[in-house]
Amino acid sequence: MRRLLLSISDGRGFDIALVSVPLTFLFMMAGLPLVYNIVMSFQEVDMFSLGTFFRPFVGLKNYATLFSMPETWPILKNTALFVSASIAGQFIIGFGLALFFWTNFPGASWLRGLFLVSWVMPGLVVGAIWNWILSGDFGVLNYLLRESGLITGNIFWRSDPSFSLWAVVIANIWLGISFNMILLSVGLSTIPQDLYEAAELDGANVFQRFFTITLPMMRSTIGAIISLGLIFTLQQFDLFAAITAGGPNNSSNVAQYWAWDLSFRQYDFAQGATISVIMIVFVMIASVVYVRSTRHEVRG
Amino acid sequence: MSFALRDKVMLVIAVLLAAVYLFPLYWMYVTAIKTGSAMFASPPSFWPADPQWSIYRSVWESRNVGRYLWNSVVIASGAVLMIAILGTGCAYVLARYRNAWVDAGLFLILMLQVLPASLMITPIFVGFSQIGLLDYPRTAVILAIAAKSMPFFVVLVRATFMSVPIELEEAALVDGNSRFGAFFHIVLPLARNGILVSAILIFMQAFGEFVYSKSMIQAIEYQPASVGLNSFMGPNTNEWNNIMAYAAMYVTPILAIFVLLQRRIVSGLTSGALK
Repeated sequence: MRRLLLSISDGRGFDIALVSVPLTFLFMMAGLPLVYNIVMSFQEVDMFSLGTFFRPFVGLKNYATLFSMPETWPILKNTALFVSASIAGQFIIGFGLALFFWTNFPGASWLRGLFLVSWVMPGLVVGAIWNWILSGDFGVLNYLLRESGLITGNIFWRSDPSFSLWAVVIANIWLGISFNMILLSVGLSTIPQDLYEAAELDGANVFQRFFTITLPMMRSTIGAIISLGLIFTLQQFDLFAAITAGGPNNSSNVAQYWAWDLSFRQYDFAQGATISVIMIVFVMIASVVYVRSTRHEVRG
Repeated sequence: MSFALRDKVMLVIAVLLAAVYLFPLYWMYVTAIKTGSAMFASPPSFWPADPQWSIYRSVWESRNVGRYLWNSVVIASGAVLMIAILGTGCAYVLARYRNAWVDAGLFLILMLQVLPASLMITPIFVGFSQIGLLDYPRTAVILAIAAKSMPFFVVLVRATFMSVPIELEEAALVDGNSRFGAFFHIVLPLARNGILVSAILIFMQAFGEFVYSKSMIQAIEYQPASVGLNSFMGPNTNEWNNIMAYAAMYVTPILAIFVLLQRRIVSGLTSGALK
């Protein structure tokens, strides 16, 4: 007993104690739910069997039901569209801004930091603001688009099935630009300046320098940012809850919102768990890509 | 001379870009103080002619904003406290050793960081209801948020600990300190700033948390501000000035912290996300 105490205060035991408590906690609160999720996706879960661990196993029935539902494929398609459009928008605008602020003028780093305001705002507040901006009759976005001559009639962003997903995409791009920009700025600042000086002496123009130096040197940063973007857009829930709630008629529904909706609006926990399992597999793949592209840094 | 001019032009463009980007925020504050008719005026006015400052008081009272914000503070503080106590030691150990075990632990932690809350809530909710934790809804939400955000905290704080020279700790050990003493008297004070910034970041995230609170807290008197905002926004609402006033009261404290600590927050974020 004394040796154990001594080890904890002054030896290997100290480290083991420090690391084992949080890891146990994480295992209980994240690892077990993950396993439980998979178990539930093979069970029949309803309101009555919610309280018991011993529910009838139904094999792959939940998965079969899921893929026979008429809304499944459109929602998965929406998810793919939401993710790719959000990432493309965030990345392109974020990269543009990062390149602009990289030119280094007085006040650049302060102004750049100001963009991160969107990152610290509660998702529900961002959703509420965009809900109002995108409003059909009185929204300021419709007004600006009308005045600039891009549209002639109002777009009903939230209630028109062909625009509702894009309403959330717009808000999500706004939300993600800052994060992309800051991370890309960090990547840009690690490129040695003398490469550009040498290229300039050799007569390379701006575009040649961008495509032969900037892009290749940023490869691992870009890989990390795109996979992070994938992870973050698959986590996006608040904007859906605040802007469209998946509607109208599932036209803006995505898998991560649908899983919650099935569990907590329709009380179909088994189906919710089934979608969760499928989506978590996707997220895991993305995070493996992310970890791999930052591995040299993790290993230090 | 021409360089100075270039700097000025760039600065003007940068300010314009920032203004365009931050327009939604401005629009929230302006809408909040508009009258009902000014809000739906066409064309919309970008400067309130007749600011209604009393709206803040009336929304504060009619929507019980104080209670919602208090619940948000309780939940966020609880989560931060838990994360800081558990996560700091974990980050320290992961920063001090380099071997296969640490790599594996770090990989596991990175993987946990990416699990979307809206997907994890189903098993967490069912599990919590089975062990009776849902009778203490705020505690349940604190536990869930702590598990969700701890990986991010560990990654951030680990970077801080790596910048504390190991030689200082070794010197303290040679001078007769125990590992325990060296950790609390040497390493922890040196890493204090980094830990504080990470804790503030986690606090701001937890302050805006929505999925767990929405799913697990049924009793309205325990709901945080994010859930309150959600129930304020019905599908066909037209009280946008009230909603924006609510949103402004919710987000302004966070914006104040952000502006005060901007430089530290930005550097904290960037050091964590790419490591």
